[in-house]
Amino acid sequence: MTAPFRRRRDGRYVVKLDPSVRAVLATLAQQLLPTLDSDEPMTRRLFPPAYTDADRHQEEQDYRTLVDSALVGHHQQAFTVLAETARAETLSPSEFGAWLSAIESIRLIIGTRLDVSEEMPEPAADDPSAPEFALYELLGQLQYLMIEILASELPPEGRPEGIL
Amino acid sequence: MTPASTVPAGAEPEGDVLVDVDESQETDTPWLVIVWNDPINLMSFVTYVLQKLFGYSKEKATQLMLDVHTKGRAVVSSGTRERAELDVYRLHEHGLWATMEQSS
Repeated sequence: MTAPFRRRRDGRYVVKLDPSVRAVLATLAQQLLPTLDSDEPMTRRLFPPAYTDADRHQEEQDYRTLVDSALVGHHQQAFTVLAETARAETLSPSEFGAWLSAIESIRLIIGTRLDVSEEMPEPAADDPSAPEFALYELLGQLQYLMIEILASELPPEGRPEGIL
Repeated sequence: MTPASTVPAGAEPEGDVLVDVDESQETDTPWLVIVWNDPINLMSFVTYVLQKLFGYSKEKATQLMLDVHTKGRAVVSSGTRERAELDVYRLHEHGLWATMEQSS
C-alpha cells in the first residue's frame, strides 16, 4: 500500500489519498468553517478556559477578550487551506501544517459531538453514531500518519530553551 | 493584565498592607501551565506538540505526555503570568486542553 503522506526531497509533502477521502476532508472543512465563530456547543473544546479558579473570573474574561478573535482566525485559516487544497497532489510545509491543525480541530468537534471517552467501545454497526464514529477514526488515522512524519523532522534531543 | 484585576472580585479593601502582600505574590510566585488529559487527542500528537512548542527532547515530551495520560495532568511550563498566558494560548492553538494557575 502506498503511504498516504510522504515528505519529498524538495520539502513538499506528497499526498496519496483516495478521491473519496479528499472529498470528505473538503466537505468537512467547508461545512464546519462557519461554526468556528459561532457559540455552538460542539466547538467549545476549541476554546478551553485558561483560568479555572473561581476567583479568577475576571482574568478569564480578559484572556477571552485578548485571544478569542485570534484563535478563531487561526482555525478559520487552517480550515480554509484544507478546503482549498484537499485535492492537491503536493502540499507546502505550511499547507501540511494547516491540514494537521484543521484535522485536529475537526476531531475535537466530532469527538465532542460523540462525547467520546477513553473507555468507550466502538459503537455497533447499527448504532446511529457508527458512521460519525468511523469518520472520527479515519481522521485519527490520517492525523497519526501526519504526526509520524512531522515528529521525525524534530530534533530528538530538543532545542535550546527560549527558541520558539 | 492590570494590577486592579489581580484583586479577587468581592475582596474588601482592608488597608495597604494586605494589598501589598497580594501584589508581591502576583509578581513573584510563578504561574504553572498545565495540560489536562482528554479522551480525544492522540498520545503521539500531545508529544509532538510539546516537542514543537517548548523544544523539549522526545524523551521529556513523552514523559510529560504519559504524566498527562496516567495522572490526568502535568505541568508543562512555568513563568510569569504573561509568559504562562502565551504558552496557554499556543497550546490552545494546537488543540490541547491547557490551563494556568499560580503555584502555591
